[in-house]
Amino acid sequence: MSASRISLSGVNLHYPSTAYAPSSLVTMLGQVIKRGGRSVPLKDIHALKSVTAEIGTGERVALLGHNGAGKSTFLKTVAGLYPISSGRLNVEGSVRSLFDISLGFEPDATGRANILYRCLLMGLHPRYVREREPEIVAFADLGEFIDYPLSTYSAGMQVRLAFAISTFAGGDILLLDEVIGAGDASFMVRARARIAELVRQSEIMVLASHDLNAVESLCDRGLVFHHGELAFDGPVAKAIAAYRDMNGLDLNGSTSNGRANG
Amino acid sequence: MGEYFAGIWTARYFWMHLALSDLRSRWRRSFFGVLWSILQPLGTALLLAVVLSRLFHTDIRSYAPYIISGMLVWDFIMAVSTGGSLSFVQADAYIKHYRHPLAIYSLRTVLANLTVLALASVSMFIWAAIAQPSKIGASWLAALTVYPILLLIGWPFVTLLSYLGSRFRDLPNVMMLVLQACWFVSPVYFETSMFRQAGLGILVDDNPVFHLLQIVRAPLLQGQWPSGKDYGFCAAMAAIFTAFAWLVGRKAEKRVIFYL
Repeated sequence: MSASRISLSGVNLHYPSTAYAPSSLVTMLGQVIKRGGRSVPLKDIHALKSVTAEIGTGERVALLGHNGAGKSTFLKTVAGLYPISSGRLNVEGSVRSLFDISLGFEPDATGRANILYRCLLMGLHPRYVREREPEIVAFADLGEFIDYPLSTYSAGMQVRLAFAISTFAGGDILLLDEVIGAGDASFMVRARARIAELVRQSEIMVLASHDLNAVESLCDRGLVFHHGELAFDGPVAKAIAAYRDMNGLDLNGSTSNGRANG
Repeated sequence: MGEYFAGIWTARYFWMHLALSDLRSRWRRSFFGVLWSILQPLGTALLLAVVLSRLFHTDIRSYAPYIISGMLVWDFIMAVSTGGSLSFVQADAYIKHYRHPLAIYSLRTVLANLTVLALASVSMFIWAAIAQPSKIGASWLAALTVYPILLLIGWPFVTLLSYLGSRFRDLPNVMMLVLQACWFVSPVYFETSMFRQAGLGILVDDNPVFHLLQIVRAPLLQGQWPSGKDYGFCAAMAAIFTAFAWLVGRKAEKRVIFYL
């Protein structure tokens, strides 16, 4: 297998305004009736502005930035979900993404059946899933509930199962979006260990998070986004400082890792 | 193009699962479950046949299989055109998460509905066999070709509708209206002789819906093989829809995600 690589050069991405501008007859009539009232014309959102970055094998990259800065858009662009408007994007290696961990559950099916469904969604072979099922069951640690329908699960139990399934198979490139921070305390410890292991297995990891502790312990490089632009690219400690500086957080210069609520 | 179909093949376990899951949720917690797919069209067809055969002075024995064949195929067309046009919208969570080819979501809709049709048509075969045993023959095998044909026409058709439907959510309503119009000018319940007597033979001979229905009706009702023209019309429909789906999809495939 060749080395994994993510390379972006001058990448721009726009969300077309036609996708979210109100277009129903009712809203059009409403605008006619309150003519003279303020109606804000919606423009295309320029979500990534001429982003250039090169990420190679072995790198652990954190994406930092305020809400709406472009972190998730960056991840989804790298995952190949969004078409870029201009620039060049090149991704080599298999991508495994973890954006929404409770996706694709069937509430009336048992936990065991849902393990299969989720894995099929990820493109895995049913035989492979059956071989690895005991591992997932053991990690989720739901006891007899694994054979009960998902509708009998508490929210925390669903998260445990979802987490166990989503993280059991890694790819060359691992993309994570705010997945750390679910389940009760004892599960959290194992969850963190699991993430750390996944990160070790993958060749490239890109993590978008506001949890600066996690970012600092898992990553060695940081990209700071600010209103769609890549504002800083460098070692993670400096990136965190730049991020705080840019967003006016913790200006007393302390190095302690407070939780940033941005 | 080849790469696209390779992607569909790779994701085969996933779309098979989605189609099965649709069927499971359709029959879940119902006592008759799967049986409903057979009983419900059979009941409707019987009612219609009793009323319409009186109205049109036709023999109920041959008319009932005519009605049921028309109804089953038409139900399929209705289901895939109205429900199917939201195939991508319904699958938005998956589309926003994994980069599978979008055509797997329209394929899922078509396969689930095709399974329902296959089950429901059991009653059609039984009815036709009881009503006119003399027509049973090798040509009945040709009736089975309707399933692959509906797949080849329905899949590109639903894919095309889904591209448009993710952008224009009015599409299911529009399709409802269009299909209603098609229904009136097609020999779905009305017999072909009624069109011909009214000087509207063109609505039979050049109507793709008629030729599609003939794939089932020629064998089951007349004991004949469907004609080359019947298959020709079906092949043309499949080709036209495939061409349009490809043309629209070339630009739309990547942009659908913005509209979900």
